[in-house]
Amino acid sequence: MKHGNAIEVSDVSKSYKIFIDKGNTIKERALFSKRRRHEYRKVLNRINLEVKKGEAIGLIGHNGCGKSTTLKLLTKIIYPDKGAIEINGRVSSLIELGAGFHPDMSGRENIYINASIFGLKRKEIDKRLDDIIAFSELEDYIDNPVRTYSSGMYMRLAFSVAINVNADVLLIDEILAVGDANFQAKCFNKLREIKARGTTIVIVSHSLGQIEQICERSVWIHDGNIREEGTPRKVHPIYLDYMGNKRAEIAEKEADRQAGISRDKVQRENPDIPLSLQIEEHENSEIESLEEKSESNVKFMKEECKRWGNGDAQILSIELLNSFRESKSVFETGEKVIVKIQYKVIKIVKDAIIGIGIFRNDNLSCYGTNTRIDKLEKFDLDKDGEVEIMLNNVNLLSGEYFLDIAIESGDGIPIDFYREALKIEFISKISDVGVMRIDHTWNFK
Amino acid sequence: MHILREIYDYREMIFSLVKRDLRGRYKGSVLGFLWTFLNPLFQLIVYTFVFSTIMHAEYDKYYLFLFVALIPWIFFNTSVIGGAGCIWAQKDMVNKIYFPREVLPIAHVICQLINMMLSFIVIFIVLIVTGHGISIKALAYLPIVIMVEFLLALGITMLVSSVTVFLRDVEYILSILMMAWQFLSPVMYGIDMVPEELHVIFVLNPMTSILTAYRDIFYYKEAPQIGTLLQATVLGVVLLTIGVLVFEKLKKHFSEEM
Repeated sequence: MKHGNAIEVSDVSKSYKIFIDKGNTIKERALFSKRRRHEYRKVLNRINLEVKKGEAIGLIGHNGCGKSTTLKLLTKIIYPDKGAIEINGRVSSLIELGAGFHPDMSGRENIYINASIFGLKRKEIDKRLDDIIAFSELEDYIDNPVRTYSSGMYMRLAFSVAINVNADVLLIDEILAVGDANFQAKCFNKLREIKARGTTIVIVSHSLGQIEQICERSVWIHDGNIREEGTPRKVHPIYLDYMGNKRAEIAEKEADRQAGISRDKVQRENPDIPLSLQIEEHENSEIESLEEKSESNVKFMKEECKRWGNGDAQILSIELLNSFRESKSVFETGEKVIVKIQYKVIKIVKDAIIGIGIFRNDNLSCYGTNTRIDKLEKFDLDKDGEVEIMLNNVNLLSGEYFLDIAIESGDGIPIDFYREALKIEFISKISDVGVMRIDHTWNFK
Repeated sequence: MHILREIYDYREMIFSLVKRDLRGRYKGSVLGFLWTFLNPLFQLIVYTFVFSTIMHAEYDKYYLFLFVALIPWIFFNTSVIGGAGCIWAQKDMVNKIYFPREVLPIAHVICQLINMMLSFIVIFIVLIVTGHGISIKALAYLPIVIMVEFLLALGITMLVSSVTVFLRDVEYILSILMMAWQFLSPVMYGIDMVPEELHVIFVLNPMTSILTAYRDIFYYKEAPQIGTLLQATVLGVVLLTIGVLVFEKLKKHFSEEM
């Protein structure tokens, strides 16, 4: 293993035996041996992956692409057919929460059972017990039987144990949806803390936002291969675009099916009209929409992947104004910034979301919000228009920043996602340090 | 060797599982843990009644003769029959978390072992109360016999638990098989009652020498013969080796089969 690596996956392939008709009893094995047909489905095809110590990576991909299999291989629940996996240090997985919990035993006793399954020794559990209980916020209930817990409390206890194992490598599968919003935020902070301590983290998630917040690297697994790898900011747009197209395809197919049904219906209801005429009408409109779509896709994938989307609406211009409505690109820290966006609508966008993100030139995400986060009333983009976002007191410290502007449809299909659409610079006379200025005073007493 | 080290590292898990099983079993019942003692005691009362008033056996104090071999047999029997499903029963855990899979059969057999030890307390009390008495010199051999039976039970449990993952029938076949095994072992009778021509079967049966040793210690109050002990040890180690080898071979595919 190379120095400084925590995980090395070299040339790993994995196939699953898929039984068309599975039987695990003797009768089935003997009598229906022919019926027990099976085929091998290749889930991973010669994957190579290296994770450095202290690095956090996210595995993304559509359902069934092999990312969960990869995680299972790393956990050593299953073993590769070919290739080798090497991991340095203690591995803990946040895959199954509350393993071994006994409902009749107290929360405290269950902590011991659960933690021991993660391979902790008694002394280690004793040492962590207070942390675990404190983190779960269940101090008052810890000696009650677990069956009296609400499901939220149950998950909180389980998560607290898992996250306090202090592993060198932490594997996480889509479970950051624990408890209420407060507890989720707490879990997230804990993860950051764990990461800062030098723990290597591998996350499988459908929430790209979570991955962006924690991981330095995203790995997109597609049909058993690594399709793209790099910073989340680089990989996610490509992935989202692919998924958007895929969804559009599915939507089209569905529309076709619906059209087919209605066509049959029309035919049944109006047997007098010749069928050929009806079909012609439908086909024409479909061809039109298809042409339009492919054209817009091509147009938007240019510009080095900085801009993508299906093009149903387009951002025409973005302008930055100061409080006197003068167009500027350099602002002073604390100034008001107005972002003026003009857009054109080609096809109605139902339940649209407009979003904005500010990134420092080293890709640090400084702020982001959108119309849905801000709980604006649902709206459709049905005609060309203009929108202004008033950013009062932008307290970003001096430096170079980029603005992302995005229009998305309610179901997450990117319409026009414009990354690094605009550069904005902040200057400041005060030489304070960090990301943003916090309003403060000094009081000596 | 590596695997032994790993199992040792997970000793807390074994301990937890055993504790959970023992404590969880009688939870909710009024008498709770007391049942662990009451169960064998009531069994003994029934046997005493049946064999002293209805059926007269050839042996003196037959209920004791039977009981001191029956308790070790129950340990072996529950280890194997209950142990067959011990991996399948934890499939959620096996499918989601890594831990040395050996932990499951080990914890199961240890749990049965503790139940047997607790039943021994009942045996001791009965031996003293009935005036049968105890020989300290013979008792010195008890840990060895228990150890050998434990290894044997563990070996067979590892074998059947891993095979059951792939072939669920094993669990059901076993209950019949174990019944036959009980009647072919000197539980209800002594080895002296077995016809000469059947001795081969009994010599190959590892439980013969183990049960004989228990009976020597408790019932006859004498040290078991070295030959008996040696035979039991060899058969125990052989079966444990087979069990471990099969288990190691199959364990990598557990998750995919469940």
